[in-house]
Amino acid sequence: MGLAQDVAEIPRVHDQVLVEYCFDCHDSLSEKGGIDLEMLSYRIDSVESAEMWQKVLNVLNSGEMPPDNKPQLTSEEKISLLRDLSDQLVLARELLSDTGGISTMRRLNRREYQNSIESLLGVRIEVEDLPDDANSGGFDTNGASLFFSADQFEQYLALARRALDSAIQINEEPPKPIRLEIEPETSTNAFITRVSGTIKANWDKTQAWRTSDKSKPPSEFGLLDEFDVRFRERLYNQQYASYRRYLDDPRSQDAVLLQPFFDRTNFVSVKIPSKASFGEFRIQVFASTLEGAERGDTYLEYGFPGARGGEIERLGHVRVEGNGNGTPVPITLSIPVVKDGPREVRIRHRQHNNRDASRSTFLDSQRKGGLGPEPKLQIDKIVLTGPYFESWPPRAVSEIFFKGMGWKQKDSDGYAREILLRFAKRAFRTRQPSPEFLERLHALYRAEMKTGKKFYEALQEPLALVLASPGFLYLAEPVKQENAGKSELLTQPELAVRLSYFLWSAPPDQKLLVDAREGKLRKPGVLRAHAKRLLEDRRSDAFISSLAHQWLHMERLDFFQFDFRTFPEFDDSVKEAARAEVYETIRHLLDERLPVHDLLDPGYVVVNDLLADYYGLQPVEGSAYRSVSLPDDSPRGGLLGMAAIHAMGSDGNHSSLVERGTWVMRYLLNDAPPPAPPNVPQLSRVRGKLLSPREELAAHMEEAQCAQCHQRIDPIGYGMENFDAAGKWRDMLKLQKKVGKKVVKKEIPIDSSGRLPNGTEFSDFQGLRDAVATHKDDFARGFVEALIEYGLGRPYGFSDESLRERLLNRSAVRDDSMRELILAFVESKPFQRKK
Amino acid sequence: MNSDPNPSTRRRFLRSSSALIALPFLESLGFRRYASAAVAPAPPKRFVFLGMGFGVTKQSWYPDQKDTGAAYKLPEGLAPLAKHRGDLTIIQNLANQYNNEAHWGSTFWLTGANRYAEPGQSFHNTVSVDQVAAEQLGSDTRFASVQLTYKGGDNSGHGPGLSLAWNRQGKPVSALNTPVAAFHKLFSDDSTPLEQRQADLLKQRSILDTVLQDAKTTRRGLTQTDQDKLDEYFQSIREIEQRLEKEKEWLEVPKRVPNPALVEPDKSLQGVEEVKMMYDLMIAALQVDTTRVFTYRQPLDTLIRSMGATISAHNMSHYEPGTRMDVSQQRDLKQSELFAHFLDRLKAIKEADGSSLFDHTTVTLGSNIHSIHYLTNCPTIVSGGGAGIDHGRHILAPAKTPLCNLWLTLLNGSGIQADAHGDSTGRLDSLLKA
Repeated sequence: MGLAQDVAEIPRVHDQVLVEYCFDCHDSLSEKGGIDLEMLSYRIDSVESAEMWQKVLNVLNSGEMPPDNKPQLTSEEKISLLRDLSDQLVLARELLSDTGGISTMRRLNRREYQNSIESLLGVRIEVEDLPDDANSGGFDTNGASLFFSADQFEQYLALARRALDSAIQINEEPPKPIRLEIEPETSTNAFITRVSGTIKANWDKTQAWRTSDKSKPPSEFGLLDEFDVRFRERLYNQQYASYRRYLDDPRSQDAVLLQPFFDRTNFVSVKIPSKASFGEFRIQVFASTLEGAERGDTYLEYGFPGARGGEIERLGHVRVEGNGNGTPVPITLSIPVVKDGPREVRIRHRQHNNRDASRSTFLDSQRKGGLGPEPKLQIDKIVLTGPYFESWPPRAVSEIFFKGMGWKQKDSDGYAREILLRFAKRAFRTRQPSPEFLERLHALYRAEMKTGKKFYEALQEPLALVLASPGFLYLAEPVKQENAGKSELLTQPELAVRLSYFLWSAPPDQKLLVDAREGKLRKPGVLRAHAKRLLEDRRSDAFISSLAHQWLHMERLDFFQFDFRTFPEFDDSVKEAARAEVYETIRHLLDERLPVHDLLDPGYVVVNDLLADYYGLQPVEGSAYRSVSLPDDSPRGGLLGMAAIHAMGSDGNHSSLVERGTWVMRYLLNDAPPPAPPNVPQLSRVRGKLLSPREELAAHMEEAQCAQCHQRIDPIGYGMENFDAAGKWRDMLKLQKKVGKKVVKKEIPIDSSGRLPNGTEFSDFQGLRDAVATHKDDFARGFVEALIEYGLGRPYGFSDESLRERLLNRSAVRDDSMRELILAFVESKPFQRKK
Repeated sequence: MNSDPNPSTRRRFLRSSSALIALPFLESLGFRRYASAAVAPAPPKRFVFLGMGFGVTKQSWYPDQKDTGAAYKLPEGLAPLAKHRGDLTIIQNLANQYNNEAHWGSTFWLTGANRYAEPGQSFHNTVSVDQVAAEQLGSDTRFASVQLTYKGGDNSGHGPGLSLAWNRQGKPVSALNTPVAAFHKLFSDDSTPLEQRQADLLKQRSILDTVLQDAKTTRRGLTQTDQDKLDEYFQSIREIEQRLEKEKEWLEVPKRVPNPALVEPDKSLQGVEEVKMMYDLMIAALQVDTTRVFTYRQPLDTLIRSMGATISAHNMSHYEPGTRMDVSQQRDLKQSELFAHFLDRLKAIKEADGSSLFDHTTVTLGSNIHSIHYLTNCPTIVSGGGAGIDHGRHILAPAKTPLCNLWLTLLNGSGIQADAHGDSTGRLDSLLKA
């Protein structure tokens, strides 16, 4: 990205170097190894010349050339040549793979598929079985990379059947709501009494055997063998006192005292009875804080049971407000229950969502002589109600069965035909289903009827088929025959579809469709007004999160598990809050019409309760995000202050200044370093010395092959060393290294001085942030490139450069807000044209 | 299939002589020849490709390059394979000349393609060797080939793709990503009654005809690029049609399960246990001849974490003396140990003629990444008797020999017709038994 030229060319200054070190063997006369560099064009304008220069780069990188017995390039010559070679090759690859402004028709990606199904059928289905469509380095809207594999058709069909099965509800009356009041301590106490009783009884047996003269084996005492004795003793030693303390605590008689990580008192379970229908349920939790609870202790998290014990499929977090006197405050949680989906919800004190953390934390506390973590929250009562429905029959049902469920239809075959036509038209968005296709669907319906199915059942299969057909799965924009080869404007319905998939990742709503059908979209201001409306709707969260996630390469946030001992606070609740900070900050920019470069150094931070606590800011209330202004010296605010960004630049344990430096170059300075080259000899480090990352990376500068990039990358990373792997501020760096069999530890103050690639020096993090902020135009360019790539569904190429500049100029005239950039893009010609 | 004079014979026989079905090749259609000729046909050839992602520890995984031939010293990282050393070939200096992607250990491993070969496109790939093999070995088994992978993002150094396999069009082939999914696909029978399944098959046909109808309409007015895109859809329907054709033949044949039968794997298997379970499932499926071609894109990040590492696989791959190198070497040992287990099992399974499954299978363990960011000298171990390799040797090929020369050798050695594969320049005939 950030192409500055339209030609890739090795600068002539390297002429001398090539002549001096290479031509001895590789000129036209000698052509050693069949390589003639003399005839090789400095301009890289074909796949073949790119291949040849790639070979030159590769042998220089690997140190294969010049051979050991020949004169070697000086370090400066090598760095300079390698840098130009790799940069120009990146440029050449981009130029050569430039589609010339042609986007390939795309399939709905996984997210869009899920949203499109929801829009048609009113149910949100699990799409885990489909490939996630993320493609390395690009966007999941890039048509050329959205493949269709043989299994996929059947997966689509199976998903559609499942979706229709939950969507089509035939009862005339909504399912009866239920109301359950649960005193959670009843089952918890019964369970603990039983378990601790067994543990104690078995322990008594072990002691009976221990104090006996051992003439009889343990089996005579009701135990299996000596292993069993030791096992029972261990169980007693580990758990009994904790259970006892729990039951002896008078508060446990009226409430469940939540003890993180301790088996049964770790969570309160709410089961939705199997006889109740699916739909939205509400759980009212009467919870309160206990003595000694600090603010960080007052968060509950909740979710469905996870795959392994001690884990949940997290749905959200909520803070318990209280004064420590046990007065319960009701909190309402909304739980989506789907057909055949999970029906148990677990509510617990927030914690690391991982089985090993769960086991070890408890044992750690015991090793220090404790009885497990102290309870800080209690739950008195739970009230479960539901299911709730927005309307009955559900909207999707009345849209499909527009004249009822078919019981009273005289001409049910004719009705079926109408249903199929209407549904296929809606599903296909812009295109009419062909009569032949409809005929086949109808034949399928008739065949199903013959097997004895009811009307609505017989329609499920043909309806599912519509959702596995190309008309639904592909966003096709056919061109008229006479326009072949020429650029053609999108039809208005096509434009409506492009707009809504761009800003909602979902099909257009009625308002947009009506204006499109009536041909109003290209009237002055209409398209713009729709785009504004779509952006203001929460459905545009899909746009914000997908764009940001892919643009900023945020999948790294999920690559690593954060160590629960080193980062006890950075659990899933905080990680999700940190991820959402990126999205919510962009949402804030859009809502408040703020400029893109507010992501660099805004002087405010967009946080919720949990994140404000994590950052050590003044407390805020509620899980909703809001902007909070910051003092000048605060490290927070903007991308560089976000925990998510720093966590992405780590491996879950250690910060990586190379990852962070690369990230800043790529996304903030819009100056991506070339990809890590293969076959560069790695230096073997000084064994046994405890070095800071900074000192270790100094080795990157020793070899020209490494230096050419790391000179640019590493000094940026230095400026971010004050953030640990989980994005918390630190002043000291803890070093640890295994030397032989010993572990050596040391703490050193952090030196965060460094340099941007353009030479700007900085002395600390604030200096880095200020220096990066001066690159606001580069940053805005990078954003617009991502926007174009995401919106047009193809890699950003040289041919898009003028569009990028036009958008930046145009929006600058109105106001320089991020929203204006998006609107300008929507109003631009490329957005409204086919291909 | 049309050549079968009496298709029902096979079914009748299978139903009535359950005692004999324990022999692996009986499930294949090769059995027909057996039934009519009374002479056991040679057991079929099989292929297994195991992809490691990020490479290995250079210092301790590779034998000394000067120490070639049969008497080479087995390096530390391969120690668990000692008992199989007579049945292994380690080949050095193979590489894919076009791959410049230092983190893509699998994308081009079995294809040898040039990412940038197509102007106007930023990604291009070609058919992988397993799929070439499956075209010829797959016609007699329930599944022509089976792809396995793991769940989660690409943090194990494999690169783009859904599995190790790429089809004739150079498009990714999807894979089963958990032992549970593999177990059900390979061994669980549909409990629906036969008549119902026959009716379902018919319905399937009409389903395919219906969507094809719409695909034809969609095609109208599309540009060439878009038509090419839509061809993927057509291709997928064609593949399903071929599979249905097959399913029709297999409809009355219950899926074979090995004896003793496997139980459904634990859902929470991860890392070492997950790989081991996938290996066992592969062996079981080869044993009962459910398929003859497997690829497995192995997890690496979860593998090392399940061994107690707290660093990422990528971090490990940039090892240096110290913790990272320790983890890297322990990983090598574990992978060798798992591979040794795989070979143990292959050898333990007997074919009808008394030979072992091992004698007819070609297993390759490797990656496009050597170690760290090196893409030359791809780590390569070949085992099994399927391709006629004269095992027990450490071979040093000339520098930068195309990896595809090995693939071509394995194909031809297993009796599969192919003149070239990827960027191959010839065969490695010196590998084969004289």
